[in-house]
Amino acid sequence: MTTLIQEVEPEPDSAIKRWLVSDRGATLSAAVLFLVMWQLLTLFAPRVPTPWAVVKIMWIEVTGGDYGSVRKGEFWNHYAATLQRYAYGLAIGFTAGVLVGALIGASNIARALISDTVLVLLALPAFVWAFLTTMWFGIGWQAPVLTVAFTAFPFVAVNVAQGVRAITPDLRHMSTAFGVTPVKRFRHLILAGITGYVFAGLRFAMIVSWNGVLLSEWFNGQVGVGFRTRYWFDANRYPGFLGWVISFIIFVVALDRLVLTKLQARAFRWRKTNDELDKDLLTTVG
Amino acid sequence: MAGVLVDSAEASALGTAAGLRRRRYLALATGWVGFVAIWWLLSVWVNSDARLPSPGRVWDEVWIIFNGDPTNSRNDGGIFWNNFLASVIRVLLGFVVGVAMGTPLGFLMGRNRYWRSFLKSPVMIAGSIPGLTYAVMVLVVFGISFVGPVLAIGLISMPYIAINVAEGVGGVDKGLLNMSRSFGRSEKQMFRDVVVPSVLPFIFAGVRLSFSLAWKVGQLTEVFGASQGIGFQIRRNFQLFNMPAVIAWIGLFIIFMLVLERFVLVRIERKLFRWRQWEREG
Repeated sequence: MTTLIQEVEPEPDSAIKRWLVSDRGATLSAAVLFLVMWQLLTLFAPRVPTPWAVVKIMWIEVTGGDYGSVRKGEFWNHYAATLQRYAYGLAIGFTAGVLVGALIGASNIARALISDTVLVLLALPAFVWAFLTTMWFGIGWQAPVLTVAFTAFPFVAVNVAQGVRAITPDLRHMSTAFGVTPVKRFRHLILAGITGYVFAGLRFAMIVSWNGVLLSEWFNGQVGVGFRTRYWFDANRYPGFLGWVISFIIFVVALDRLVLTKLQARAFRWRKTNDELDKDLLTTVG
Repeated sequence: MAGVLVDSAEASALGTAAGLRRRRYLALATGWVGFVAIWWLLSVWVNSDARLPSPGRVWDEVWIIFNGDPTNSRNDGGIFWNNFLASVIRVLLGFVVGVAMGTPLGFLMGRNRYWRSFLKSPVMIAGSIPGLTYAVMVLVVFGISFVGPVLAIGLISMPYIAINVAEGVGGVDKGLLNMSRSFGRSEKQMFRDVVVPSVLPFIFAGVRLSFSLAWKVGQLTEVFGASQGIGFQIRRNFQLFNMPAVIAWIGLFIIFMLVLERFVLVRIERKLFRWRQWEREG
């Protein structure tokens, strides 16, 4: 009868039931259901590897398998290479993004002149940068680093510009009128105002450019996570392929949940709830 | 007033809105002219079509994409519309799939606390998975096919639609539902006349939010496995090392994405959300 109007659900009596309907229990049930569905899917789709096959091959990739005592697995080299490129690219893209974003936010003329260009950059997919940088620099470290920088840049710029514009002139005038020193003004007005936006921009940029570095390595690489994923893909060895795919998904989800969301929540603690931050992610990256 | 920051609201109060708007258009035009000029200068400096072709060279390529190559005896009269339509149809069908998957999930999340915590993590994870994953996974499962890209677009837009529908369901006017019940409307009638009209704009907002991402992932799946489409053409010319054509297709890709987003989707959204504007103004 009451399907349209939500009713207050009665508290279940036993402890297990109460845990199962708690937030954590629900999340865990979702994970278990996912694994069960994956296992079932392998019965119908023979090309999809089983979870156990993926675990086995990733164990070899991480530890070196039979050669474990002699050398490490492939996992570490590839992740080290990719993370290095990712970090350099982000450093370039982030610095450029903060500078250009501050310029767009502070000056109307700069905004009119370059904000359209930034929008176009925002509209460009990562694979376009992967192709262009490969055609410019050939195979090497430049293409992945610059792909990350180019995909990260507009997200940082747009958010920093928004942050700068959000500092109201009223507060600026007031602090001048009350004789607040420039140092204090910078710290409590400008820095406090834009930190949240800077972190938001960094978070979106990191999530989007992770895709960029993988794509770039897929098309152009001799080392790296994207390259290794492609290696298994080209070899038609789907357990290895799927294992690497899962590893880079886990990486970006963990980075977002454990680091970026927390940083952003701290910087935005005076303004937004966690759910709102999640929604921001979806609206901005999309 | 030159050099002073003025909001458009303040400006209209001062009666200089027209002048300000003119100045803004002038600055925008200067920005675009400057962009093309810098591109042209760089291309003269680089002096290599394989690295950075001049704007004129790219324009020639755009002409060929639309009208066919006059120097080629088997002139096919331009390949743009075939590829463009292939991409657009995939994106549209992908959204149908995304709405079909995302709406029920959104209803569950908006209605029930247990399902909200059950689905929240999967939906958020689905929202931050790299697009590469979807593009390659559908290639593994379906090979080069028509279904693959459509499903990838559906999967990528699904979390956006689910989150928006959840919000929309939460915002359905409880008073209106109670009233309908008091007046003896059936559940089916209430669903059709109260819930659907208030959730529909939110479904559409999800589509619009995920549009640019879906368009990008759609092209990416074409890069990996397709025989037609804008993404496929970019990949083909990349492999032929034909830089002018790569840039021409990228330009067309951006222009059509912005046109679809700005002029088509924003208009439809404004129409769907009109009742809310009235509500706010009234």
